[in-house]
Amino acid sequence: MTFKTKLAGAAAIGVALLGVSYTSLHAQAAARTVADGVYDAEQATRGKAAYEAKCAMCHGVGLEGADAAPPLAGGRFLDNWKGQSVHALVTRTRTTMPLNEPGSMGMAETSEIIAYILQANQFPAGQALATDAQTQQQIQIVGK
Amino acid sequence: MRLISRRGALAAPLMAFLFAKLPGKAFAQAAKPADTEWRHYAADLANTRYSPLDQINGSNFSNLEVAWRLKSDNFGPRPEYQFESTPLVIKGVLYTTIGSRRAVVAADAATGEVLWVHREDEGQRAARAPRRLSGRGLSYWTDGKEERLLYVTIGYQLVALDPKTGQRIPTFGQGGIVDLKKDFDQDIDPLADVGLHATPCVAKDVVIIGAAHTAGNVPRTRKNVKGYVRGFDVRTGKRLWIFHTIPLKGEFGYDTWEDGTENIGNGGVWCQISVDEELNLAYLGVELPTGDTVGLYRRGDGLFGESIVAVDLHTGERKWHYQTVHHGLWDYDIPCAPILVDIPVRGKIVKALAQPSKQSFLYVLNRETGKPIWPIPEKRVPKGDVPGEWYAPTQPTPSKPPAYDRQGFGEDDLIDFTPELKAEALRLVKNYRMGPMWTPPTVATPEGTWGTLTMPNLTGGTNWPGGSYDPESKIVYVYSKTEADVMMAVKNTNPAQSDFEYVNVRSIPAERDGFKAGVLRVQGLPLVKPPWGRLTAIDLTKGDIKWQVAHGDTPDEVKNHPALKGLNIPRTGRPGSLIGPLTTKSLVIIGEAGFATTPNGQRGAMLRAYDKATGEEKGAVYMPAPQSGAPMTYMLNGQQYIVLAVGGGNYSGELIAYRLPPA
Repeated sequence: MTFKTKLAGAAAIGVALLGVSYTSLHAQAAARTVADGVYDAEQATRGKAAYEAKCAMCHGVGLEGADAAPPLAGGRFLDNWKGQSVHALVTRTRTTMPLNEPGSMGMAETSEIIAYILQANQFPAGQALATDAQTQQQIQIVGK
Repeated sequence: MRLISRRGALAAPLMAFLFAKLPGKAFAQAAKPADTEWRHYAADLANTRYSPLDQINGSNFSNLEVAWRLKSDNFGPRPEYQFESTPLVIKGVLYTTIGSRRAVVAADAATGEVLWVHREDEGQRAARAPRRLSGRGLSYWTDGKEERLLYVTIGYQLVALDPKTGQRIPTFGQGGIVDLKKDFDQDIDPLADVGLHATPCVAKDVVIIGAAHTAGNVPRTRKNVKGYVRGFDVRTGKRLWIFHTIPLKGEFGYDTWEDGTENIGNGGVWCQISVDEELNLAYLGVELPTGDTVGLYRRGDGLFGESIVAVDLHTGERKWHYQTVHHGLWDYDIPCAPILVDIPVRGKIVKALAQPSKQSFLYVLNRETGKPIWPIPEKRVPKGDVPGEWYAPTQPTPSKPPAYDRQGFGEDDLIDFTPELKAEALRLVKNYRMGPMWTPPTVATPEGTWGTLTMPNLTGGTNWPGGSYDPESKIVYVYSKTEADVMMAVKNTNPAQSDFEYVNVRSIPAERDGFKAGVLRVQGLPLVKPPWGRLTAIDLTKGDIKWQVAHGDTPDEVKNHPALKGLNIPRTGRPGSLIGPLTTKSLVIIGEAGFATTPNGQRGAMLRAYDKATGEEKGAVYMPAPQSGAPMTYMLNGQQYIVLAVGGGNYSGELIAYRLPPA
């Protein structure tokens, strides 16, 4: 066995001993924040249309909120959600909204609305937002 | 001097022996304070939210520990994030409405263990209801022998339960239920727009029920359900009386409606109700008739919109009324109970009431006659420009106490942490109209002005949790928020959405000079300067503000904002609509609104305690989420508990109970 092979073997054993798999290391390296370009422009466009049809009557065209509906853009909104995952925001939205028909939207539509909200908060577009829970749990909402 | 008698001296060794033998607890029990209860939403029928307990006080508040928690998630088909209840405690058992089902639970008040659960599945009637989730709680009645719990369901039905079992009381209404959409002096559909969050008001043998509708700046129709108030017999559920908050033709007040009252609705009493059992009067706080912010179809003063009405507890007959806003256009519904107060006026004790409000006035009236304790002159106010609108020429303006939060909108109200922020704010407001208190909404068009900048906001000022009162010092404590609002009247282009010619919105798709219409933020920060949340102590022996403090730590967005780096900004307070105070022997206890990074680095909000005499902060404890229900307190097995509902953002509704650590 060459020295290189021995070294690789030792490293593999070391990694295995640490109980860390290659897959989860890869996943950890992929943990991102909403500032890293986590939705694409197309999603935000579809999300805007859905927002205006289903959300704007209470949360406002400018996402400024009204009465019992909180703002969805700006410092106060980000203070209430920073540190939480995108998945948490998607889940909250999907299970309780719209007010007159909670639970009527699926992951795809809700994720598009969240993409629009991220855009409205001036987070950059980038790669598309996956609609599975695990990926969304890895994306953290941050303040500005 | 003989301090010890011969008998005493002989007894001493025996006593010492006994002391050594008996467990220490026996003596603790001998001195143990008596259990107390919390039988009403705000402690009593006067809505004082006061308790004389003092085991938890300024010297130990920060040492409070979590005694138990009761999560609301599974009391309904989905989690609830706006848990507004104040629970009751009777004989060591805690009762509350809870969850998206508005279930009722009984729990051990020492441990939070659930003892029983009650639920009503109302199908579409609940799914289409205007006021959902678990509401403000429930009520209790006893005649010393029988007892019952009473609450209003999401679908607007009054239910009576046996507190021991959670089962409906079969002799009440139909099998324990009264359908509140019936016997309502109007023909309405089971799916009609009426419901309630408030707890029933139970006094003597009467249950008083108000009404609430969908929040309405874009009302679907002006011919909405009318929010009449009713009194029911607590034993049988039979309707005893009805009060028409919107008068019928021939009734008192009808002549204040130029368009009649046949085609208008709302006008419900959605706030908590107070009762003086000696005077046999109930005090009802009425909201606006249809069109919270557009009065095109209700021209005239419109009694009894935005009025306090005193009615006989048993007959519902009006004794007096006081209108706080004539033909309101700012959505300044009466949001909370008038607090019943007995105060010295020119050497005599007068039975009065103190009404906090969204508009940040505290209206103090004689509760026998309705006459103001201090003069409330009518002041001339500006007109607006909405075609067809009617404008009241004057509005009542209390001379005392002074307004406890900012009113009206001017350049001095703008954010001014730095000259740059102020300059940007000045450019932003050029797109809007501004004016003193009572400047009406104005027409908004993309090319013209974008409506009227307004304070207080249409959610206050003060909202439904209301104030608290110390009967010893005659001081009212009230929380209010300071938040810019914009009143835009726009021509309605969607008759399917509303039959109003003009509707009121908070934003329109328009942009100018880099500003979006309705976005009242400057670099992400609030348009108006702090404080954004405050606690005020109002001395009713003088009609003056005794102290006022910013309540709520400065938000992270301010602490971390690049434009504010290096600035020493005093605590700003935080705004919220769900915040109300509890008063005890020495403290005012109140939780914060909104999430922030708390002193130990954790995300959450603080429950704070202030010295009630001075406003000095005495202590604070961590909560995982902001306050969402007003707090209550009780003594049980020698320990004082403070319990409140929290939730918001990603944190679903939960009751948290605090108590001191073991000695």
